[in-house]
Amino acid sequence: MSLNRSFFVPIDSPLHRLNPLTKLTFVFAMIISAFLSVPDMAPALAVLVLLTGFIGKVQRQYRTVLLKLILPAILFMFVMQSVFLPGGETILIQVGRFDVARENVRAAFLTVSRVFVMVSSFAILLLTTHPSKLMADLTRRGLPPQLAYVIISTLQILPQMQAKAQTILSAQRSRGLDTESTFLKRVRAIVPLVGPLVFGSLVEVEERAIAIEARGFTSPRAKTFLYEVPDTRADRLIRWTLVIFTLLSLAARIWLS
Amino acid sequence: MAIVNLHNVTYKYPLTETPALQNVNLRVKEGEFVAIIGRNGAGKSTLCYTLAGFVPHFFKGELTGSVEVAGMDASKSHLHEWVLNVGLVFQNPFNQISGAKYTVFEEIAFGLENIGVPRDEMKVRVEEAMRLTGISDLADRSPYSLSGGQQQRVALTSILVMQPKVLVLDEPTSQLDPIGAREVFGVIRTMAEQGMTVVLAEHKVEWIARFADRVVALHEGKIILDGTPREVLTSDLLLDKGFGISRYTSAARKARELGLWRQEQLPVTLEEAAEGFALTPNASPKRRCESK
Repeated sequence: MSLNRSFFVPIDSPLHRLNPLTKLTFVFAMIISAFLSVPDMAPALAVLVLLTGFIGKVQRQYRTVLLKLILPAILFMFVMQSVFLPGGETILIQVGRFDVARENVRAAFLTVSRVFVMVSSFAILLLTTHPSKLMADLTRRGLPPQLAYVIISTLQILPQMQAKAQTILSAQRSRGLDTESTFLKRVRAIVPLVGPLVFGSLVEVEERAIAIEARGFTSPRAKTFLYEVPDTRADRLIRWTLVIFTLLSLAARIWLS
Repeated sequence: MAIVNLHNVTYKYPLTETPALQNVNLRVKEGEFVAIIGRNGAGKSTLCYTLAGFVPHFFKGELTGSVEVAGMDASKSHLHEWVLNVGLVFQNPFNQISGAKYTVFEEIAFGLENIGVPRDEMKVRVEEAMRLTGISDLADRSPYSLSGGQQQRVALTSILVMQPKVLVLDEPTSQLDPIGAREVFGVIRTMAEQGMTVVLAEHKVEWIARFADRVVALHEGKIILDGTPREVLTSDLLLDKGFGISRYTSAARKARELGLWRQEQLPVTLEEAAEGFALTPNASPKRRCESK
């Protein structure tokens, strides 16, 4: 599996064909509007994001993200906020010693909508955008290549570090390190794990720096990109629409409330 | 015309007292295949880094003497110019994977993206390089899902695709299993046969003996021997300094002590050893039975 370290689903869909920057603009337009515009905007945007998720032909994966990641989190938040937020006049029901007020339910619903917009729009971006293409496009537009490298290599290298930590742990256990008894002993067990992991990683960083340097990473020449990332007129149109929409939603906040 | 020319090179890493290289003089002709042998800590890696421009540009430290490779002068050129002319492959295959790419094809294209090769040419060059090293079938795999030998060939291909004039390899097979090592050696041999200038630091003397044009022995930062594989690898000096030597040489040396090796020259390869032992009159089956 070549893409097992990313969310990307390699199929073709209208969302897949969009330029990565367009989708990134969508994400930020949605988040900014949901958080900063008039309160009623957030639930409406949540519906919009939800519908967008289903034009991407990644329904199955999107649903998985919704059910396994987003739903438990927002349900928990909704319940906590409804029950434990202080104040509120109109009592709907009583849960033990706590009053559930209409105002608090409304506030909880708003928070949950905002969180939904944020996580869900990012999920759509990640599900429909090849990470290499996202970075290539942003680098082409002026994102420093070093920053792009740090972002993308972190995603790739984390699982490797995890595997290495596991190896070191097994090695230390085979020499009698106690990792399964009392809490204090387990905390102590971290020390002989961290040393080799950190120092080993530092050595690796040097080697990796040499390796990418040997591949001309710091070359002052203008970079080129293996993938052509199309940027159509439709993309530009959508982006400008999103920018204007964001500005309008901010204006609404300023003048309507 | 020498493509590599080191003159009186002495180098100290930052914060160290003893130089890692001392008065090293090395000339390599274009198209030559030079192997560097030496024990751990003898300076093999430092010499490789020097040829590839990482000493002094990456490691800093104190360099005296002159380093000229492929028409560039270490004191005047930048590292990003060196990497266009000199390719470096080192031991750990895992650390040579950029980590920024999701498939082998993208990984190999990484260097070409960095130096601004146009897209169409890039694809052609990547495909050609993969064919040359025999990894075309890995193009769509993740670089992290490969075996060590495959990863090292990807690393090698990623360098070869940049078409360096000199290829420097620092123990490229030391962390591989025998099969992986054989695959990597196969590629190195192909490159050498195609006329690329190759400098290889390596412990596997039996392989060097067969394929290298020249062997340089490093000891404590100094070059102590420099000559044909046969001259260098059969030298008594190597034995004194504790170098690993070919088992064929060891066998013949032992045989000579017993009066069973009659040739002047000691062998370094299996073929030479077989030939020499065939000349030994005592080697008839009958005598061998009697001596028991």
